[in-house]
Amino acid sequence: MAEIELRNLSKAWDASVAVDGIDLTLADGEFAAILGPSGCGKSTTLFMLSGVYTPTGGEIRFDGAVVNDVEPRDRNVGIVFQSYALYPNMSVLQNILFPLRFKQVDDADKRAREMAELVQITPLLDRRPSQLSGGQQQRVALARALVKRPNLLLLDEPLSNLDATLRLTMRAEIRRIVTELGVTTILVTHDQLEATTMADRVICMNAGRIEQTGSAEDLYLRPDTLFVAGFIGSPPMNLLAVDPSAAGLRLDVDGPVTLGLRPELLRAAETGVPATVSHVEPMGRETLYTAQSELGQVRFLEPTARPNWAFGDMLKLAFDPADTLLFAPDGQRVPDAHATWKDLAHA
Amino acid sequence: MTHSTTDWDALAHRARWQRQARTAAITLFLVAVSIPIILPYFWMVMIAFTARTGGAEADTLWTACAVLVPITIGYAVAYQMLSGRARLAAAGLALALAIALLFVFLGDALHVNNFRFLVNPNVVEELRGKATAGAQFPWVWSAFFNSLVLATVQMLIVVAVSTMAAYYLSRFHFMGRAAFLQSLLILQAFPAITLVIPIFLIVYWVGLLNTLTAPILVITTLELPFFIFIMKGFFDAVPWDTEMSALTDGATRRQAFRMVVLPQVTTGMIAIGVFAFIKGWEEYVFVTGLRTGNSYWVMSTYLYYVREDVMGVDYGLVAAVSVMYVLPSLILYLFAQKYLTQMTLGGVKG
Ligand SMILES: Nc1ncnc2c1ncn2[C@@H]1O[C@H](COP(=O)(O)OP(=O)(O)OP(=O)(O)O)[C@@H](O)[C@H]1O
Ligand SMILES: [Mg+2]
Repeated sequence: MAEIELRNLSKAWDASVAVDGIDLTLADGEFAAILGPSGCGKSTTLFMLSGVYTPTGGEIRFDGAVVNDVEPRDRNVGIVFQSYALYPNMSVLQNILFPLRFKQVDDADKRAREMAELVQITPLLDRRPSQLSGGQQQRVALARALVKRPNLLLLDEPLSNLDATLRLTMRAEIRRIVTELGVTTILVTHDQLEATTMADRVICMNAGRIEQTGSAEDLYLRPDTLFVAGFIGSPPMNLLAVDPSAAGLRLDVDGPVTLGLRPELLRAAETGVPATVSHVEPMGRETLYTAQSELGQVRFLEPTARPNWAFGDMLKLAFDPADTLLFAPDGQRVPDAHATWKDLAHA
Repeated sequence: MTHSTTDWDALAHRARWQRQARTAAITLFLVAVSIPIILPYFWMVMIAFTARTGGAEADTLWTACAVLVPITIGYAVAYQMLSGRARLAAAGLALALAIALLFVFLGDALHVNNFRFLVNPNVVEELRGKATAGAQFPWVWSAFFNSLVLATVQMLIVVAVSTMAAYYLSRFHFMGRAAFLQSLLILQAFPAITLVIPIFLIVYWVGLLNTLTAPILVITTLELPFFIFIMKGFFDAVPWDTEMSALTDGATRRQAFRMVVLPQVTTGMIAIGVFAFIKGWEEYVFVTGLRTGNSYWVMSTYLYYVREDVMGVDYGLVAAVSVMYVLPSLILYLFAQKYLTQMTLGGVKG
């Protein structure tokens, strides 16, 4: 219900900079996810959007109008706090009703109960927040954020305390509610799967800056920076410091670079980088191996539940040059540059 | 690895036994040390209800102790073992038992004659004649009423001011905040009594000498730093998030304070309210210090002069006045006990 625009938005604390000049535009009704390590400024960004923190630099625009100085209560933003922030002195129902007390709403009670129904907490309406489990509290917080039909919905790790099944249901539920209401939404999460399954667009943050925004596929296959390459994906991408002078490797660029290669894109073959298996981790559906190779320690993944290799096995690892990524020393990816292993050049 | 040889039952048995022994030992110790503290109160009450002109009978006191001490210990043990309503029932039972036994053993000695000061405005004068300072004695109810006004007004100011000041100190960063907090504590380091003379002068210049307003303002001022500090602890324990959430939910800062923050610190407000009330109720230094004649009486000065005047003549009257003096704060303590114990934790649980 609102187009959101951040321009060079910053927040500095006395001793540190939490958000360091981010630019971002969210289309009306878009669902974006912010991914990033702990302490990178995700919550701070949400707090600035909701208005409880005043930016120290830059602009926030709702539908083109600068709202930096607009009071939180006038922004009509719904937020689910990382800590839920339920009101301990009120019952669950009163918590959900709270935002409606400041609006002229005739059917407040009905709306609150509908919301409770939606997040499946109807039996708990008379309880106090302290009598709820973490997951139940999260759902109350969600109902409270949604009940006022916000222009912008901010979710700060809203599903972190739910069990796997409920999390799947809630993912779909949130997605459905949000689409139905057409509300612009920002989801902060540590869970990459959550970000990629729920959001139209993923924003990867690090140290107060946006490293990359794009589709899940962009971030996974074409990370712009070394940070994104290392942060997205589990098991993480192999990042190997290589030198053009290294025997056997041909690079499209000069000078020392970092070679990035996803574990699942490496495979044992007739020819390739010689390696010795040093560790085997069965992961259920697939098996993850760690091996010492001529390029350094690498991990590779094979889609078999039963390990094909054992500790000490010698093998050769092949890869498709098109799958390789090269990162310059400043951490930026060198576009259209790849690495080739000599044996594989003819393959 | 001797996993199969562990005798879990024996270990559990030992742990249970040790826990029980420890609890019993602690309870016993606490009862023992509290007897010398409780005993004077028993005596005070007993003297008030038994003494006739001339003094108290030692026999009656010992008999009363023989009845009351076992009952108190019994109640303490019952309190440990019971919970909730059962505790209340035990208290009622103990009280009834105590009264019944006292009647059985001391039946003829008990009387309420010492409390005649409640209905007779001129008790002291009757006892000592018009020649004494007692000639200016008021009726006890006037002192009681003054004490009530002093304690209540003082409590209301303390609660209101320290709540607002503590909220501000807890939530806002302003210039000199750290220095302010430190000075709050330093103020507590000076014994208030050292200030009597300067305060007397100030009060005299301001023209409040011999008014109840003077002790109210002075006591409030001297106590505020401590209570602000206590309240700040309570506000610090209220998560920022709930307040920010209220703001985004549409509340103004004031509404957020009233609807979300304040309900989370009511425990603290009740606790400091009780303490402030009792402080005002028992205040002596600044009520005698800030009046030049007998311009107003409060319970503490009343008791003091009754003791001065009739001691040696009528112990019973002094004890009876003491009982009346203690009763309101005791009742307040009993009702607010739950909140007072939480004060030391410095926070609230949802
Ligand atoms: N009130 C504050 N005063 C000073 N520094 C703060 C404050 N709030 C946050 N910070 C700092 O700002 C940085 C960003 O914090 P933020 O809460 O936005 O991180 P986050 O990305 O949400 O992390 P997480 O995933 O752990 O929740 C951190 O380094 C934090 O220490
Ligand atoms: Mg956070």
